[in-house]
Amino acid sequence: MTADIVKNTEQRAGGGASPSRRGSVHPIVPWIVAWACLLPLPFLLTNAYTQYVVNVICINVILAVGLNIVKGFAGQVTVGHMALAAIGAYSSAVLSTKLGLPFWGAMPAAMLVTGLAGAIVGVPSFRLEGAYLALATLGLAEAVRIIISGTDWLGASLGYAGIPPPYLAGIALDDYRSYYYLAMPLALLGLYFAFSILSSDIGRALKALREDPLAAAASGVNVRKYKVTAFVLSALYAGCAGSLQAHMAPGFIHPNSYTITEMITLLLMVVFGGIGHIWGGVIGAIAVTLIDDLTRDYLQYRMVMFGAVIVLTVMFMPSGIGGLIDDVLVRRRFKAIRRRRAGVASVVAADDV
Amino acid sequence: MPYPGIRCALLTAAMATGLAAAPARAEDGVIRIGISLRMIVENGLKYGQMAKDELEAVNAEGGINGKKIEVILLDDECKPDKGIANVNRFIHQNKVHLVMGSVCSSVSMPQVDITTKEEVPQIVSSSTNADITKKGSAWVFRTSVSERFYASVHAKYLSENVGKKVAYLYTTDTAGIGFAKDYMAFMRRTYKVEPLYEAQMQESDLDFRAHLLKIKSLNPEVLAIGGQLDAIARIVQQSYEVGIPKKVRRVSASAASNAPVPELAGDAVVGLAFAAAFSCKDERPVAQAFVKMVQEKYKVRCPDHDFSQTYETAQLIKLALKNAKLELTDASLKADRAAIRDALANIRDYHGLAAGPINFCADPTPQCRDGNRTGILVEYTKGGKDYDMRVLARVGFDPDFGL
Repeated sequence: MTADIVKNTEQRAGGGASPSRRGSVHPIVPWIVAWACLLPLPFLLTNAYTQYVVNVICINVILAVGLNIVKGFAGQVTVGHMALAAIGAYSSAVLSTKLGLPFWGAMPAAMLVTGLAGAIVGVPSFRLEGAYLALATLGLAEAVRIIISGTDWLGASLGYAGIPPPYLAGIALDDYRSYYYLAMPLALLGLYFAFSILSSDIGRALKALREDPLAAAASGVNVRKYKVTAFVLSALYAGCAGSLQAHMAPGFIHPNSYTITEMITLLLMVVFGGIGHIWGGVIGAIAVTLIDDLTRDYLQYRMVMFGAVIVLTVMFMPSGIGGLIDDVLVRRRFKAIRRRRAGVASVVAADDV
Repeated sequence: MPYPGIRCALLTAAMATGLAAAPARAEDGVIRIGISLRMIVENGLKYGQMAKDELEAVNAEGGINGKKIEVILLDDECKPDKGIANVNRFIHQNKVHLVMGSVCSSVSMPQVDITTKEEVPQIVSSSTNADITKKGSAWVFRTSVSERFYASVHAKYLSENVGKKVAYLYTTDTAGIGFAKDYMAFMRRTYKVEPLYEAQMQESDLDFRAHLLKIKSLNPEVLAIGGQLDAIARIVQQSYEVGIPKKVRRVSASAASNAPVPELAGDAVVGLAFAAAFSCKDERPVAQAFVKMVQEKYKVRCPDHDFSQTYETAQLIKLALKNAKLELTDASLKADRAAIRDALANIRDYHGLAAGPINFCADPTPQCRDGNRTGILVEYTKGGKDYDMRVLARVGFDPDFGL
């Protein structure tokens, strides 16, 4: 209940501003300020490699926030999110290389294809729940990877090469610095939409679904419709992230980048950040990408470190960093309420005297 | 939580500060080499460690022309995204003078695109896919034998000595597909013979008996098995379980040279032939000295051709560095990289562990950059932990072969 109070505050701040603020600041304004603040970032970084890592973080933020919609908001257990990203990546690659579509056409089209795939992935959720749904989505994910691995015109196990970079006003975004100016705004846009969804009717329906599907249905929520909606919305994010992966230099994608290992890493981002917290996805994506990068020098011990992070997070921080922030905020909020009440009580007492 | 957008900016800025604070390792006067290999496999760490040891060994003797070598070793897990991250890190953060790797062709392919664009010399130590050098990069060299040669080593030998009725069973990895397709192409081109049977399986498949039973009914003369280590071992073993007779010659991709294949397959591996770049049964003194070194230092009884190619690549790098005039300052990084490339391109008639000489030249063509053009055909004579093998044939090729 207390966590919900904070989440509601978070929602108001994101999608639609709180009633008190609505008159003064449009909800999009903080995002524009954020965009402006993040613009000079590549010039503060030491080299092109760190720019590359920041781009990967932006893509992972989109993936994690998308996964949070289906898993965190709607409570559906899926391990097929990376397969959706693969569909987005390969759709965008095929559309731009074989049909000659520019990135600006290929990416939205790839998102639509992925959204459609998301709807198909969502169908098993009508009848399956928990581990059974996880198994069904796992099967689908593996099927996608295996089909790509065995399809020659998708590059099979050699990978798909020669994907062109996006062009903006005739300039190729073929280095990591210029690509950031595509990946960062898209990540911000993804976050903005996630907050908007969460504070909308759809968001409320998804949360009702997560808490108790039967109660939600009794309250008039169309369970099937909102389950599929969650999968489609999540898939649109995955399609966007996949397309960004495909077009980033050197324009090469491979089915091995979309295995169950990558899916577990993505789940770790969401769990580490906090399931059901949009900010959790962001924090998780940043933290896990950096941990992955900083532990690369440790070779065989890297996976041990990674595994330890997962186990310790689940054991001691099951609600992730987002949960910790919630606790702090809730505590602060209650202290403030108590102070206010104490203040009122003392004023009343003084008046009595 | 007010103003989430601004919070996002602050969070990312904090992260960027962390990234910006990461020290860029670029010390003047040191030759930096980045090695990206697949290491989470049997002996994988040993390949990487051996390359690092070989290159850094010169530091104890005062370095090469007085210049010390620093090796940065990273695992790419045979995943292209990791390989791309590694090579970006080598080039932009570590400011390396040379990149070595990788093992998997699917990793080397995108790496080549990056090293070419950034003008950093790369020497591919183990990848066999022919397209790597067909990209026409002026910065790429290969010491492993290209699959355009490998395919013909066994195809030529077996079609002349065993038969032309070949059944193909392979997995969907690069090595498996490359092996089978090249073998089929050779048979079509040379003898106008179509496959007797062809089936593609997944890398993770465990049971190949259904296909093997069909193959048995067709009475092939050769069973061609493409794939990685465990798939090869399983197919060989199951081919006997379904009753394919011993007279049907089993031939496999070069991955069969790796120790787990005879260890997993046991006695079923006897008679399995494969093309490779090196055999630990090579009787030349240089080969036996190498085998002894690996046995003592890395505790591997019979080093496979990934060991030999990694070692050979390290020796070629040392040779090139010795002949290159390097200033090794921040300002000279581009010129130093070009000097190392030119020194590699000048290597001629190098005799080492490879079955034949290694030759590079300046043109950015496969003829110039596929330096090792000699393959050997090897046959297992004993399976299990104490497996044994013998060399059946040694086949050298012209630079233009298979193009």
